[in-house]
Amino acid sequence: MEAIKRLFILLGSLDRRIIFLIVGLSVLIPLLKPEWVRLPIRPRPESQIVFDEINKLNEGDKVLLSFEYGPSTKPEIHPMSIAILKHLYSKNIQVYGFALWPDGNFMSTEAFSEVSDDYEKKYGVDYVNMGFKPGAEAVVKGIAADIRALYTVDLKGTFINDIPMMKDVFNIEDFDFVFSLSAGFPGSTEWVQYACDPKNIPFSTGCTSIQVTDILPYVENGQIKGILAGMPGAAEYESLVDAELRKMDIAVKPGKASSMMAAQSIAHVVIVLFIIFGNITYFITRKKNGKDKI
Amino acid sequence: MISSEIISAWVVVLLTLCIFSFLYKDNPFYKAAEHLFVGVSAGYVAVISFWQQVQPNLFGRLWPRRADVDDGSILQSIWYAIYEIFNSISTGFGLLDRSIFPEGGIKGFDEIRIIYMVPFILGIFMILRLVPKLGWLARWAIAYIVGMAAGLRFYGYLNSNVLNQIKASAVDFTSDWGTIINALIIFIGTISGLIYFFYSTEHKGVVGRLSRIGIYFLMIKFGASFGFAVMGRISLLIGRINDLKDYSAPEYNYATPIILVFIIICIAIWSFMGERNKNESTA
Repeated sequence: MEAIKRLFILLGSLDRRIIFLIVGLSVLIPLLKPEWVRLPIRPRPESQIVFDEINKLNEGDKVLLSFEYGPSTKPEIHPMSIAILKHLYSKNIQVYGFALWPDGNFMSTEAFSEVSDDYEKKYGVDYVNMGFKPGAEAVVKGIAADIRALYTVDLKGTFINDIPMMKDVFNIEDFDFVFSLSAGFPGSTEWVQYACDPKNIPFSTGCTSIQVTDILPYVENGQIKGILAGMPGAAEYESLVDAELRKMDIAVKPGKASSMMAAQSIAHVVIVLFIIFGNITYFITRKKNGKDKI
Repeated sequence: MISSEIISAWVVVLLTLCIFSFLYKDNPFYKAAEHLFVGVSAGYVAVISFWQQVQPNLFGRLWPRRADVDDGSILQSIWYAIYEIFNSISTGFGLLDRSIFPEGGIKGFDEIRIIYMVPFILGIFMILRLVPKLGWLARWAIAYIVGMAAGLRFYGYLNSNVLNQIKASAVDFTSDWGTIINALIIFIGTISGLIYFFYSTEHKGVVGRLSRIGIYFLMIKFGASFGFAVMGRISLLIGRINDLKDYSAPEYNYATPIILVFIIICIAIWSFMGERNKNESTA
């Protein structure tokens, strides 16, 4: 028993750099050898709702896709962008890209160029990238009221009136669905507060893990139709979209989030073990110090 | 053959490993990458904000393309003479090509909106913060922003965060048992959480017990937030390590292993020199 206690005390006094190294390895090994860890991906109800809501849309419907993330949160959100675009394109839905973050321009450009050619989608006819405007919630309010007051040109500098798919689009009410790829402020909350709640437009979001607890009250209340929560949410959505594409006989390219989920799961197990060891060590040390004092 | 893709990969790997080097301890590699990140971010946001908002939406409304608005009046000619003065200043009196103020006005709008002089002047006031004697003028611009943001947010919060959330916390006793129990938990959590933040009465008796329940609900919320935060950070780590793995391939000229070894050697030398200097100074 004493030996076990000593082991725990030793574990508790580990240099933080060794812990960083172990966490790093727990991420690296499943990425190098994915065949060693194969874990099933089961969609949660929130992800299923997002999928069902988008799947309900009809050919020719208009979807506003807002890019509110940058390179720092790309691993969590970008796989969602790709999966959403695949889903929308496979159903021949028109996609209107907007960005509330300056880095959103890079992310939207990358996502559109990664998927559009595979589905033979034409710029200005099937999708358009309006780009970033500074102003946070004022931009959301502007899109809700009058897009042309805010946007005169798209990201490529083409005048809005020269873009065929912008012909009948004037404000948020001309869209059938809004989806926010959000990593913080301005993001999902602003879309709920200033556009989708007041105008009653169906809205859904894919956000970083850290935002989930702040967004969930809107989801529970039906103000947001489902949520893709971080990388697991992205992986779940990828699996749902892949199944749908197979049904439609469309070639499926494996998504990035699914391939990273093994690393995520192993890293979580390692962190949980460290938390348990840390607590056991804390209680053993406290008890020992208490005895010493007596 | 060194392509731009390979150079980008080497820059990505170098900056990623510079940031990761902080896990060992604060060092010059980390500091350099941090400063570069802050500088590039600020510069990028400033440039993109100007070209996406100020130039087309502010100058574009004040001086739309003259051919679209021309009424032949003298006032308009004076107005566009001011435009040319701004153009002269922005091009360094002809040293640079026209870019901000194109020939004949900015395409996009079909009428002159003089009211946009108000944000233009407020914007100039904001920049005057840099001039100590006129810095007080920036308060006008800040006052406008604060007032506008408060007014804009008031309705949004009231509607989406207060009224709709109150509606959602009501218990529907006609639903099934599972839904009723869930709704009751949310109701008790909301009320007890609010009571915890109610400081007008001493937290004793019933109020004390309810606020205690509120603490438990808050702790569960914080625990969930912490769990999600860990998950998010691990996802970001996975993203970086995945990129480092990809860039260690021969087609990127083994960027990751080469830069990793280089940084380790440099930090080892830097640490050794630091230790030696410390020992010399204490001796």
